[in-house]
Amino acid sequence: MMRVTVCFYSYFKDLAGCASATQPVACGSTLEDLFSALVVRFPKLGVMRKATLMAVGVDYQSRSYVLREGDEVSLFPPVQGG
Amino acid sequence: MRKQVTITAEPIDEPALISQREMSPGMGAVVCFLGVVRGTEGKARIKALEYEVFQSMAEHQINLLFGELARRWPIESVRLVHRVGLVKANEPSLWVEVVAPHRAEAFAACQWLIDEMKRVAPIWKKPVVGSN
Repeated sequence: MMRVTVCFYSYFKDLAGCASATQPVACGSTLEDLFSALVVRFPKLGVMRKATLMAVGVDYQSRSYVLREGDEVSLFPPVQGG
Repeated sequence: MRKQVTITAEPIDEPALISQREMSPGMGAVVCFLGVVRGTEGKARIKALEYEVFQSMAEHQINLLFGELARRWPIESVRLVHRVGLVKANEPSLWVEVVAPHRAEAFAACQWLIDEMKRVAPIWKKPVVGSN
């Protein structure tokens, strides 16, 4: 097992009830696996499964991205700057 | 290409930004865009927008766009300022400037940059309603 830090932005903070969390995941887990684990822990995130954007560090990543120890993952809804 | 991204809670000082403009003799076009907070959201009146940003990622993503911009058009300079935090209605939240040899590439690059910025920069806004 390893642990990754997850940060929530925008109304995802409300859905999760916190701005960040540490989540244990099995080695070899993907971002999709992480999201599924987070939905168990924070069920309100489930409704946003298809619309969630995911980043590791400051780069967007696909759901097939394989997590590494120490990764900082960010989850957020579609962006709307300007 | 000169490039500058600024994400700040301070008001956008357009005269100061213009006074800092640098152009070489071959440049013939400056396109500036000012995005202003509307006082309505749909049919409802609002008094402000509250912007939230994932700052390090937003700066990184906008710098990636600047790189792509330089590959697509012969741009000499691009600057983008995005205000975050509480921005009242009628106040600017976004300022973009593109300097290029001709207007066609300056307009195209500015339009493309804003469209892409709104697609990838992790910035969110929510309306603030109420009087005063």
